[in-house]
Parts: sequence; C-alpha cells; structure tokens
Amino acid sequence: MRCRFVPTVIACFKWVVDEAYIRLRPSGDLDFSSVDYKIGEYDRNAIEAAVRSKEALGGKAIAVTVSMPEATKGVKDALSRGTDEAYFVADSSFGNLESSQTAFILAEVVRTRIQQYDLIICGEGSSDLYAQQVGPRLAEKLGIPCISFVQKFSITKGQLVAERRVEEGVEVITAPLPALVTVLPDINVPRIPGVKDTLMAGRKPTVKITKDELPPMGQPLLRTVSITASRMERSCEMFGTDAQEIARFVGSLRKRGVVG
Amino acid sequence: MAGVWIISENRERVLELLNIGRQLAAKMGTRVSALLYQDSKEVQDCINHGADEVMLLPPLSRDQSPEIYIPVIIEEAKKGDPDLILLPATARGKDMAARIAAQLDVGLCSNCIALNFDDGSKSLVMERLAYGGVAVQTVICATRPAMATIPPRTYDTAMPETGRQGHVRELPAPAPSAVKTLERKVKERAAKDISEARTVVCVGRGIDKKDDLALARQLADILDGEIACTRPIAEEFHWLPEEVCIGLSGVQVKPDLYLGLGVSGQVQHLTGIRNAKVIAAVNKDENAPIFKAADFGIVGDLYDIVPKLVNELKK
Amino acid sequence: MDFKFTEEQELIRKNVREFCVKNVEPIAAEIDENSRHPAELFKKLSDGGWMGIPIPQEYGGAGADFLTSIIVVEELSRSCSSTGFTVSTHASIMCMMILLFGTEEQKKIYLIPMAEGKRLGAFCLTEPGAGTDVMAVTTTAVLDGNDYVISGTKTFTSNGPIAGTFIVFAWTDKSAGRKGMSTFIVPRETPGLRVGEHFKKMGLRSSQTSEIIFKDCRVPKNNLLGKEGAGLPMAMAGFDGGRVGIAAQCIGILQAALDESIRYSKERIQFGSPIARNQAIAWMIADMATELSAARFLTYHAAWLKDQKLPFSKEAAMAKLYASEAAMRHTVKAVQIHGGYGYCKGAKVERLMRDAKITEIYEGTSEAQRMVISGNVLR
Repeated sequence: MRCRFVPTVIACFKWVVDEAYIRLRPSGDLDFSSVDYKIGEYDRNAIEAAVRSKEALGGKAIAVTVSMPEATKGVKDALSRGTDEAYFVADSSFGNLESSQTAFILAEVVRTRIQQYDLIICGEGSSDLYAQQVGPRLAEKLGIPCISFVQKFSITKGQLVAERRVEEGVEVITAPLPALVTVLPDINVPRIPGVKDTLMAGRKPTVKITKDELPPMGQPLLRTVSITASRMERSCEMFGTDAQEIARFVGSLRKRGVVG
Repeated sequence: MAGVWIISENRERVLELLNIGRQLAAKMGTRVSALLYQDSKEVQDCINHGADEVMLLPPLSRDQSPEIYIPVIIEEAKKGDPDLILLPATARGKDMAARIAAQLDVGLCSNCIALNFDDGSKSLVMERLAYGGVAVQTVICATRPAMATIPPRTYDTAMPETGRQGHVRELPAPAPSAVKTLERKVKERAAKDISEARTVVCVGRGIDKKDDLALARQLADILDGEIACTRPIAEEFHWLPEEVCIGLSGVQVKPDLYLGLGVSGQVQHLTGIRNAKVIAAVNKDENAPIFKAADFGIVGDLYDIVPKLVNELKK
Repeated sequence: MDFKFTEEQELIRKNVREFCVKNVEPIAAEIDENSRHPAELFKKLSDGGWMGIPIPQEYGGAGADFLTSIIVVEELSRSCSSTGFTVSTHASIMCMMILLFGTEEQKKIYLIPMAEGKRLGAFCLTEPGAGTDVMAVTTTAVLDGNDYVISGTKTFTSNGPIAGTFIVFAWTDKSAGRKGMSTFIVPRETPGLRVGEHFKKMGLRSSQTSEIIFKDCRVPKNNLLGKEGAGLPMAMAGFDGGRVGIAAQCIGILQAALDESIRYSKERIQFGSPIARNQAIAWMIADMATELSAARFLTYHAAWLKDQKLPFSKEAAMAKLYASEAAMRHTVKAVQIHGGYGYCKGAKVERLMRDAKITEIYEGTSEAQRMVISGNVLR
C-alpha cells in the first residue's frame, strides 16, 4: 500500500524595517522615526515557495516568525499569501535579535510545537541586516541537511532534490527529508494577495508563543556597536560639456593614471 | 593553541584571506593556518603567501561537496582553539561559515567589509553593510573563535615570499553523508567577468534603447574596459546579462576606473562600486545621487558627451 | 475617534500599490494617449479579485467594507484615474445596484460574473436631453406580454462600448412622475441594443464612453430590477456610494499631483537652487497637501458612515464636491509648478489636469452637489 505524500512545509519570515523609509538627518545620522515595516523581500519568496508546494502536493504550509508583539500585521500578511497557519513568537525584547538567537528560538518552536514537518524554507537572507545565517544555523540546531541559495527544488516522499547556485555554476543536490533550504529571489515571483485573501487571513489559526514559554535564549554572539549612515562621499569635481571641458575631464583621468 | 584559520576551496580567495589573515595574526600575536581541499600542489604556494600551517582535507568523491567537511572542521576547531576563522563570502563560504558557527556556538560577521583588531580591548571590531547598503553596522565578536566571511576582492592577494617554511598535516576523512551532489553544471559565461576588469563602463536608465549600447561599447573599447549595467537594464529590459549587473545583489567591482553613463546612483548600485579607485559619471540630471559619490562628473546628455569623449580619447 | 485604518486595510493599500506599480503605471500614459481600454489589465484586475471589492463573497466579491473599496479606488486612481474610475463605478454603482435591489436569481445570473470582473457593467440614465435634469429622460419601457420593450437613446455611458451588462432607466409610467421610472438589466447581446457614437474626451481617455441606442429592445419581465416605478429612488441610492467613489478617485489624482510636484520642485534648479526653496512654490505645495488631507478625511468619513449604515447623502455630496474642485485646482497648480514641461505630453501632470476636469461634472455636477447639500442643510 502506497502512502500518499502530504507534506508539511514551514516558511520562516522576518518582519523588517522597510529601508525605503529610512531618512538621512542633516547631521548625517540615520532617521528611523517614520519607518514602516514589511515582510523581507527574500522571505516573501520563501512563503511563496511553501504555498506553491502546498498547492501542488497538498498538505500544509506553516508560517513562522519571531518578532515584537506589534508584528501582528506581518502575521496577517503571511497568512494572506496562502499559508494555512502561523506560529508567532512574540516579545517586546525581540526587536534586535542576533542570528544565533533567532535560530535558537525557531528551533525550539519547530522541535517542540510543530514537531512534524518535511521541509523548512527560509529566504537567502533578511532584507534588513542580510546576515544570511538564520537558515543554516537553524538547520544545524535541528540536525537536518541544509541546502542554501536554491533556485529550484522539488520534494517527494522522503527526498529533496534542489538546484543550488554557487559562483562556479549550479549544483544539483539531493538530501533526505526533513531538510532546510534557503531560496534565491528568482525562485518565484511572490503573489500580490487579493482583498479576499487579506480579509480571510485574520481567521486562520495563529499560535502565539511568549518568550517565557520557551527555554531562555543565550546572549547575542555578535554585539552591534553602532549602525551609521554609509557614506560614499567623494569630492565630485564637475566639468562642462564643451570640447575644452571634455579635454580637461580626460586629462584629469589621465593624471589619476586610470586612462592610458 | 590559537591561530587565524582560513578556509576556502578557491585559490584566489585563499590568497586574499591570507593577506588580511597575516595582518591580524601579527597584531594578535599568533599564526595563520589554511585549510585546503585536497590539492597538495597548492601547499607550498599557500605557505609562500603567508600560511604557517596547512591542513589538508582529503579528496572528495564525485558525489560529495565541500560541505561534507564541516564535522571534520568542527572537530579540528574544538581541538585547535583558533582565535579567528575566516571564509570568503561566496555562496559556499557563507553557508559553511554559518553552519560551523552554529555548531561551535560562536558569532559570525557575514559580508564583513572591514576587520580590525583593537589592541586596547583585545577584540575584533568588524564592519558590514546593512539596510540595502544605506547603513554600516559595526560589530564586536565576543566569542572564541570569532568568525567572519569576507567578500571576494575586499583585500588584495597577499604578497608572496619564496621559500617560506610551514607545517603541513592531513585531516581525517569525513564521515559519509546522506546529502549527495548529483550533477554540477558549470556556468556558461554569457559575458566577461567584470569583477576582474580594470576599467568598467556602466550603463543605466539614461540609455534609451538596446541599440545604443553600441555607444557605450565604443567607449569601453577605447578604454580597454568592460561593459556593465545597473539592475533595471539586466532584470527589466534584459539588454545585458545578469552577470554584468553591478550592485548589492549583483557584482561588486573594484576597478581603477568606473564610468557611469546615465546611471542615477541608487544606494544598492553604489555599494557595488564603493571600492573603485576613480568614479566618474555622466548624467543629465544634476541632482543624480551618483555625483555625490563620484570623483569626476559631467552634467550632460550622454548621447552628446560619449562621442566627444571617444574623440578626445583617440587623440 | 479612531483615525486608524485596520491592519487589513493597511495591507490592502500596500498590495494595491504594488499591483499598480507593476501593472498600471507602465501603461497609464499609453492608454490615455491611444484612448485604449486595456483588456489585459482588466483581466489581471479580475483575476486578482479587484473588481467587486465591496460585494459579499457569496456573490463573487471580496466581501470588504466600503472604506476598503475606497482605498483601492484611491490607489488605482493615483496611477491611472481612468482605471480607478472604471473599477469604482463598476463595483459601487453597477454591482451595488443589483446587490441592493436584485432577486436571488438576478444576483446569480448577473451579479456574480460582474463582481468577479468577468463582465463589465454600464449605467444608462443620462440622455442627450437629460443630464442633471433626470426627469427629462425620454426612454420608455412598454410592457408587452412577458417582455418590456425599451426604446430611447442614452449618452455619456461609461464602458458603453465594452460592457456586458447594462443597467437602464426608462419610463414605465410617465404620468406617475417621480414614481414612474423603472430599472432594467439588459445584457449586451439583447437584440435592439446598439452602441452609438464613441466620444473622444479631453481626459479620462482610457475609459470608453459612448451613446447606447435602444430600438425595440425586448427584455423579459424577469429583468426588471426592483419594483416598477422605483427607478429614481434606486438611482439616487446608487449615487451616494458612487459619489464617494469619485471623491476617492479625486484624492488619488491629488496625491499623484502632489508626488509629482514635490519630486519636480526638488530636482528643478533655477537661479542656482531647487525651486522648492522658493516660497511661491513651497506655498503651492503646502496648499496642495492641506487640501488633499481635507479631501481625504471628508471622503473617508463619508465611507465610514456608509459602513456604519448611517445616512451619508450630505457627506457624500460634500466629499465629491470638495475633492473634485480641489483636484481641478491643484492639478492646474501642479502643471504651473512644472512650467513648460508640465504642459507637454509625457509629463504626468498634463494628464492629471485633463483627467481632473470631468470629476467636477459627472456623477452629479458640482452644482447638483450644492443642491443636495443646501437642500440638506437648509431643511
């Protein structure tokens, strides 16, 4: 008797500052006062991949996030994209978690709450800090294979086959399930949820977990000293458009030794 | 035992990391070890470029990839107690580094663009870009070992000294893994590797149509440089392949001369050129952000300016 | 007073914006230039469920509240006011009329495909001799056996050339005065319905506008919408929602005008500095932003009242009156800020100014709105 493969796929996402709203003060400091939040770009791809898997194979797509309590909008967003349920670990101290801490908490949730799953999908990195560590760290904590920078994958009963993009080219890897993949942005084009999807999102089950319900996470392994505006200011010498100015321009380049 | 460890399967990357590795080891009063994958021909080369020790990982079978070494590396690290482990911020490097860091339970600074050992606090202060390139995040790694992945070409390759002495030893074979590599498709390069180019002529939205790329090519040829582009040109219009797309999620270049034609200078693009020696730009919008990031600028229509430049350069 | 949108409304606004940037912005100038109805865009709108937002899910809509549908119209109009207008009137007037007054049978046959966006609706009331003066309508519907036979000419029918389902107002009993007009659902395929002259317009050019000519057009009795003689009150009921929709269209236009003006004034250098530093320009922008805000709150409030099932005729008229006049005022200013460039094809503000004018005219002229408001306030 063949058992039908009905997978449970988990998509991890982060509710991040939308960098388009970061302003620069006249002093040169960064101004986060009017920032809005969003699900990170790459995480949208992860959620989309999980939902498409569910649409093709059946089973369940679960969204998981670790964030501040205000991220309820993010949870709704994730649910509006087609996931069936969400796990939301919330605490006001979770605003600036370090990758190892996030991975620890996610591992706890997956291991002790979700328990049965076939595949975990993460974005290749978060669009705020882009450390690109949570996926691989989470896989190690759970003791499951990790295939990162995946542009295409398929799962069948017990098996993952993934195309992984590295500098030299593409590797086709196979691994037993359960496994974890981190996905590249060109793996899919995330859908734009319709009004109905957004309205129904709030009705889907969300499991809320507080910090105290989980074992204590460790201290951050990397300490952030500062986040300052990245400056790329060179003293731009301007030139006109007439022949004389063009000659002067080329002359300046020659003087700097960058033109023969 | 200590030491600065360098792990990479790519010779270029090893030589770059040996550069910064040696500098840091000198400051930290320790030595440099390189972990190489199987190529014993490279051992002396590696020592000449600054490794005090080379640890050789045994050859892989066809269906194995370097990730299989991770448990071996972890065992060695637990025994060897390095101060710092460096890997290149390539896809494989970033992935392996994160997994090693998870098993050793240590901190890892990804895509680290600057590394300094602070004598006062005896800690590693590292910088990296965040928020799409808008911000610089400065971090201190408190763990031992500290770990960092460094983008290719952040540092020049180390200077060799012939006849340097070093110690070689072999590491044990990795345990078998259920993860297998079925196939490797080597990338067919659709275009030249612009990351090595000394001169880059980059086109942006100021170019009206695909045929006009010929203008940029003409200029690039005279300058003996390569053509590159901003993200929309590759991703939206498909006028050039993704491989020549410069930016945060594209190629980082470090040429002697970067010349932007009709490039506005969005933050994401600028992070790809921040290390260019000279940045020059032509754009008809005097307020284009690129002018703040450039050394030389011309406010003008590139269709007017480029032919004039070509004429001047021919002289 | 809670002036916050719900999380769902905020997410929906973001999603529409993303849809617009991807699908509407790239074609907005071209469909205006060519007076083209973008069928490919409306297929995407239909597939994405954007065509019947305030209609209950059981009838093919998204089941959202009216305020949510207003947010969608606003964002669509910010990119292309023709598109915003079409989506707005289709949902808030055509679909809404069948929802409010139709039988279950009629809802199944006509409302569901419309709410799903598979068929576009068109509203046929105005005639060559009857604009603000609705009583001057001459189209008649004569009962003959099991059918009504409709004869007459309707004009300025939006979506006329492309609609699938027409909602037509005609006299069934002229002697009954205001209680003598009835409403009919007429499918496009019905013999005797003909699309007449297409109008070339100053603005809102992508929206297709034409005459619709009925000549002995037979519709079964089952296609009577609501009761005989209830046509005018039904139309009036439909107008209130429609007006708030137009107000939403106007705030979209205003927002676009403001976006363009801010951007241009910071980029345009004259006398050595951006013109945004000149008080004359800065004050124009200040006025634009202030009136946009005022128009916004009038509009959102009217929509909120409708969702609370409170009377909102006066507020709807006020929102439409104010927002449309503000849109006209400030798109003219936006062109002024852009100088010569604002007067040329290719500048978004050129299109915005042309699009704004009609908002003072259709769905009840500003004069008609003033009649409604004064009638209400002077009671």
